[in-house]
Amino acid sequence: MSGRAASPPGGPANERFVSEAPFDPHSIEALTPEQERYYLAGQWKLMWWKLRRHRIAVFCGGLLAFMYLCAMLAELLVPYNMAARHTGHIYAPPQAVRLFHEGRFVGPFVYGLNYKLDRNTLQRTYTADRSKIQRIRFLCRGKPYRFWGLVEMDIRLFCPAKGGTLFLLGTDRMGRDMFSRLAIGSRISLTIGFVGVAISFLLGIVIGGLAGYYGGWVDSVVQRIIEVLRSFPVLPLWMALSAALPVTWSPLWIYFGITLILGLLDWTGLARAVRSKLFALREEDFATAAQLMGASPRRIVGRHLLPSFTSHLIASATLSIPAMILGETALSFLGLGLKPPIVSWGVLLSEAQNINVVALYPWLMLPVVPVIVTVLTFNFLGDGLRDAADPYK
Amino acid sequence: MTARALSIVAISAAAACRAVASEPAQAAPYIEPPWFKPKIATGVLPPIVLRLPKAPSTVSFAGTAKKPGRYGGSLTMLMARAKDTRMAVVYGYARLVAWDSDYRLRPDILERFEAKDGRIFTFTLRKGHRWSDGAPFTTDDFRYWWEDVVHNKVLSRFGVPQALLVDGRKPKVEFLDRHTVRYSWAKPNPYFLPALAGPRPLYLYMPRHYMQQFHIDYAKKKFLRKMTNNGLKPDGWAKFHRKRGRMYRFQNPALPTLQPWIPTTEPPADRYVFVRNPYFHRVDRNGRQLPYIDRLVFVIADSKIVAAKAGVGETDLQGRYLRFTDFTFLKRGESRGRHRVYQWQTAVGAQIALYPNLNHKDPVWRKLFGDVRFRRALSLGIDRREINRVMYYGLAAEGGNTVLPRSPLFRPEYREAWARFDPARANALLDEIGLTRRDSEGYRLLPDGRPLEIIVEAASEGSEYTDAMRLIQDSWRKIGVRLFQKNTRREMFRRRVYAGLTQIAMWTGLDYANVREDTPPLALAPTDQVQLQWSQWGLHYASKGRSGQRPTDPGALRLIELLRRWEAAESTAQRRTVWHRMLQISADRVYSIGLVGGVIQPVVVNVRLRNVPETGIWAWNPGAHLGIYRPDTFWFATPPGAAD
Repeated sequence: MSGRAASPPGGPANERFVSEAPFDPHSIEALTPEQERYYLAGQWKLMWWKLRRHRIAVFCGGLLAFMYLCAMLAELLVPYNMAARHTGHIYAPPQAVRLFHEGRFVGPFVYGLNYKLDRNTLQRTYTADRSKIQRIRFLCRGKPYRFWGLVEMDIRLFCPAKGGTLFLLGTDRMGRDMFSRLAIGSRISLTIGFVGVAISFLLGIVIGGLAGYYGGWVDSVVQRIIEVLRSFPVLPLWMALSAALPVTWSPLWIYFGITLILGLLDWTGLARAVRSKLFALREEDFATAAQLMGASPRRIVGRHLLPSFTSHLIASATLSIPAMILGETALSFLGLGLKPPIVSWGVLLSEAQNINVVALYPWLMLPVVPVIVTVLTFNFLGDGLRDAADPYK
Repeated sequence: MTARALSIVAISAAAACRAVASEPAQAAPYIEPPWFKPKIATGVLPPIVLRLPKAPSTVSFAGTAKKPGRYGGSLTMLMARAKDTRMAVVYGYARLVAWDSDYRLRPDILERFEAKDGRIFTFTLRKGHRWSDGAPFTTDDFRYWWEDVVHNKVLSRFGVPQALLVDGRKPKVEFLDRHTVRYSWAKPNPYFLPALAGPRPLYLYMPRHYMQQFHIDYAKKKFLRKMTNNGLKPDGWAKFHRKRGRMYRFQNPALPTLQPWIPTTEPPADRYVFVRNPYFHRVDRNGRQLPYIDRLVFVIADSKIVAAKAGVGETDLQGRYLRFTDFTFLKRGESRGRHRVYQWQTAVGAQIALYPNLNHKDPVWRKLFGDVRFRRALSLGIDRREINRVMYYGLAAEGGNTVLPRSPLFRPEYREAWARFDPARANALLDEIGLTRRDSEGYRLLPDGRPLEIIVEAASEGSEYTDAMRLIQDSWRKIGVRLFQKNTRREMFRRRVYAGLTQIAMWTGLDYANVREDTPPLALAPTDQVQLQWSQWGLHYASKGRSGQRPTDPGALRLIELLRRWEAAESTAQRRTVWHRMLQISADRVYSIGLVGGVIQPVVVNVRLRNVPETGIWAWNPGAHLGIYRPDTFWFATPPGAAD
């Protein structure tokens, strides 16, 4: 090569001049190392950089991580077992945690409760007894429980004082601690979104992928199925499906049954998105190249096409998790989904749906708060992810 | 009380009525309700003297806290379904004979009645008594019902009503004159009078002048054809006759009635209005025709929000659809100054009771529920004290499903039988049956290896039943019995029990607060399909062996035999003995498992409404809920929008 590039001795210079200087792609505009990093960065890295600048999304992501961690360790974090009844403290209002007693620092404590039944109105009234200082114990041994239903344990993060009570969010009509129930209920409510989305993802990608890649009659059939599914009135369908779950199923099975129902109904939107993306992408050159090289359809879809819009999928998944959580809450609220003794936020709310609660025991409506918070954080996070998924904009 | 004693009371009461009635008729003329004045002025209605019977039923208020009132006002109540229009008949409580507030039978629509030997009943109507449209009410209306309705094969497919049969024989009915009718049997019929006084009464009459236009034997064919609209199928007219003649359903404004308020609204509607009956037969001692209140209004609302609406004063008088759990909320609403909440007593033997299905389809379960030791063990395995404390503030009475202390038939041992929480004893009983094998979680297994899982079914709204189930679930755990709960719709609930699919049904207990020796002890023996523990046996009895299954349980057979003895009994003492035997067997053999009894029934009453007793018994039969307290005597102190 170098021989041809050099001009022949004594001959006239070739009019197609080729510079001998080594090619420098930065000769016109030199890239800074940062720019270089940016243009050479992989898709995931780009996304992360973009997301990092979305402060709210990052905060929400952290919050969610914390919430899931709490849900995982729920039994450790609560002072009582979720089904433990305190028949002497029915409808007890939330006990405030205090630090100072009469100006003196005593550390976190609650005042004890005095119970009186108002014979006239038949209302249980509780008053804080300022003489009873019940210090909260930390890292203590409480009632034994089975961690994840597997390991027998009795360590708790905090417990009520010996002989005292600690109802941070009050108790319900059977004297069960609302805080404990809320925390343990979060396990179901938070995971049901993930499991449901996982199912709907699997179905959506496989079915949408088939339809999008093959097109033709496969696509037609899938589209018609999707249309039928989407035109079903959802509520009666839920009712029918949840009525089909036998009552003797264990809570765990019911839980999976409900997630399955939610997942089976939710995949259609995703399948459509996957299909339309694939329609566009399969006409791209790299897809044709892969085809010509003899790659199997599965490999083309899995290795070449899907990664092109994974970020988009992630964002849409994040946005559909709160819909799942709300779906579970709504189903349980209507009495169609999970039922006691399983505890989820929806179950807690459905137990709060009467006029007595609104008027007399408002703290029983507190499960609304985590539902709102979770749905909002997921939405903010999903929003950030969607922006980040298109990093060059 | 024997039938003879009854007749004496009845005659003396009637005599008193006449004596009192004839006096003010001369001394103080009747006072015309202002409601009718426009109609009288235009001549549509005759004046009050012509509208009342010659001897109206005079309500004296003697011996009660009630006071004579004033006319006017409109009484609003909340109801959940259009079907609830029948409550106007229940609350109106105009009956041929009616229970008074001491639970004695008195003539009401009748001027008097005589019961001879408990088998010959002679009824005397009030002279000049008229239907709500002004037509005379005479024995001809009884004749129409007996000859043209009951004895018409098309109209009455099931023939003569059960309460009119003694040993399958119908009575001899004589229409002695325009105002006297006699029913007689060869043997005593203790069911007859209570059936007439029931909340859903046995009607012996029908307004002939209105109904015969729909009757094939009397109707003008052309008219019938026009009305049925599709020509005359053999029984097309009967459907129409039935539809227009529902005296209990109370939705046909054209159907003449004897009740204090008459319907004006045809369904469907959200608001049913009943207005005062111009021909009603009761007057107060001042000569005011009852009812005091001009209009009864039923507003239809979902049963779940009745309590919410009652708490903000959207009802003037409400007990229906209110539960004990609503009490605190309702009481708090008192501060608005619109209503007060009275603590009445529910009249059920147990607020909640479990009914093991002795007719279950599955032979293994049937054998188990049929085993008295199993039922006793289930009862012993329930912590009633906890249920009472958690759900009823400890104010209810813990115990089995039996009569309440108010009844003269009450004995503490009926209530306490097999009702104390004793897991050790329950476990011993279950082991004795042979249910010794257990699964990994400590729950027992059936003899054939299936898990001992009992699904308790209920058809409830609100949390009362489900809470009770939760508590029972935990205490049954201690005896190795696993409970699942299932809540279904009411129709479904009944159907599953009848089909033998339900294992244990959860329902209210015996409606037997005020039983006396003369009250038929029907609910204790298998006599009706609606009895949740033995619906097939009950059907067998009710259908006289045509359908259902023959009882096999010795205790149930004994109860039927005792019921026969009660029917044949001639004295109160004999009846009492039979009653006690039956109560004892029911309590000892635990055919239904009661939880707690004597729970408070909240009754919301408008502050201006007078004459509603502050304490009362919310009983269906006898009682008709508000019926025996005579809502026609309730009145508003200052009716809204009416001049004094």
